[in-house]
Amino acid sequence: MRDVVVVGKPMRALGGFFAMALDTLVQTFRSPFAWREFLVQAWFVARVSLVPTLVLSIPFTVLAVFMFNILLTELGAADFSGTGAALSAVLQIGPVVTVLVVAGAGATAMCADLGARTIREELDALRVMGIDPIQALVVPRVLAATLVAFLLSPLVVLVGLAGGFVFSVYFQHVTPGAFVAGLTLITGLADVVVCLVKATLFGLTAGLIACYMGISVGGGPAGVGNAVNETVVFSFLALFVINTVVTAVGFRVTL
Amino acid sequence: MNRVAKFRPTGFERKISQWVAGWDRIGSQIQFHVKTLTSIREVFLYYRVELIRLVAQMSMGVGALAMIGGTVAVIAILTLSTGALIAAQGFSQLGQIGVEALTGFASAYFNVRILAPLTAEFALAATIGAGATAQLGAMRINEEIDALEVIGVRAIAYLASARVLAGLVVVVPFYCVAVVMTFFAARFGTTVVYGQSSGVYDHYFHTFLSRTDLIWSFAQVSIASVVIMVIHTYYGFTASGGPAGVGEAVGRATRASVLAAVLVTVAITLAVYGQSGNFHLAG
Repeated sequence: MRDVVVVGKPMRALGGFFAMALDTLVQTFRSPFAWREFLVQAWFVARVSLVPTLVLSIPFTVLAVFMFNILLTELGAADFSGTGAALSAVLQIGPVVTVLVVAGAGATAMCADLGARTIREELDALRVMGIDPIQALVVPRVLAATLVAFLLSPLVVLVGLAGGFVFSVYFQHVTPGAFVAGLTLITGLADVVVCLVKATLFGLTAGLIACYMGISVGGGPAGVGNAVNETVVFSFLALFVINTVVTAVGFRVTL
Repeated sequence: MNRVAKFRPTGFERKISQWVAGWDRIGSQIQFHVKTLTSIREVFLYYRVELIRLVAQMSMGVGALAMIGGTVAVIAILTLSTGALIAAQGFSQLGQIGVEALTGFASAYFNVRILAPLTAEFALAATIGAGATAQLGAMRINEEIDALEVIGVRAIAYLASARVLAGLVVVVPFYCVAVVMTFFAARFGTTVVYGQSSGVYDHYFHTFLSRTDLIWSFAQVSIASVVIMVIHTYYGFTASGGPAGVGEAVGRATRASVLAAVLVTVAITLAVYGQSGNFHLAG
């Protein structure tokens, strides 16, 4: 019996998550859409994520470019440094960095906010007044996280590439023209589309996880803290798994 | 609303005071970090039992985390997926220039130097780091930390330093799991899913797997874990503003520690591999 409980609880949480995701999907297309909440949330996520993503994307790309350059210098192909930079920035670093920050900064704050409202029974109060919390609170938040992740990822790629350019040209003495010429050698439009799809999926997942954790909080202040902790863990888990799957599928589709 | 008309600072004055408060916070944060690190000695002297309890707790995790297998499972899943990424991207991309045989090399090179350390650091920040912030934040909100100080317990040593030390203890076995998982996933993906012969993969993997690199990556993760835990305990210790405040502290701490972990990794990578790269294609 105890085993059933141990297995049952995470399964119920998983089921609850998908039920909420389905509700969110249905409510997205039902008017009235909470425009004001959506704009406020989108602005909030963008505000807390913008600087950290840009700051994070530079060291990430520098690390990748540095590793590629060691390899390429050894092969006598340092001129292709730009190819490696574009490859890593567009395919992996752009979406992953965006989402590390959107999940770490935006989603956690969303979860904390919703969690605090849940334990103060504000969501129940909304239901009593005939307002669906999914429609009023969850839909705008999920869409805001999705939109901001989608918009941030190209910015991250550009800043990362600029950082990689400065690092390669001024510190590792790669010819600037060769670097720029190498950028589009392997990486093309299809890869950029895969990058945007990834970032959008990541933002959607992080938003859904944060909202589910937020509205299913229990157990006072410690519960909110734990819920936020679980948001971070589960969104990182989901993102890494999605990243691998989308990368593999993306290669099947684009090649 | 019975609000007394207060002195309203002008925009400029508010900017100045925000700026000063920012510097103030940096100062107090550094003070806290130094105090945390120097109090580690007291953990050994007075709080050994608490240290062992924390090590046990961190390896399993709390609440729902324990149910999905604890911190070890989270690290294993994250690093499995990055290892699979090497297989997916490495095999396809190297295949474009006809050298997919070198996927084993990509696994030995990128996994050890970048992917495994960074993934393990993110996993640490998300699990034991964010968990520490949530715990300490809840204690702060419930005024348990004040109570500890009143009954004469050295709160920083008992709560913060012990967690930093416990993090350092658990990071080595965790990272062992992480490395094994990335290697396994990359090999499995390349040989079983994509169908490369395992002999080819193993040959290039073992030729380019450098033991020195592996030891350096352990050092990287250990140093990063100390930085991560120090940051997370600070944000937990200084949480304020009720339940939502705890949650926000967890978010801010995660953001700060992920950033710090990446910067530490870049600094150590540049210092260790430098211009020479410590890499020889010709053996």
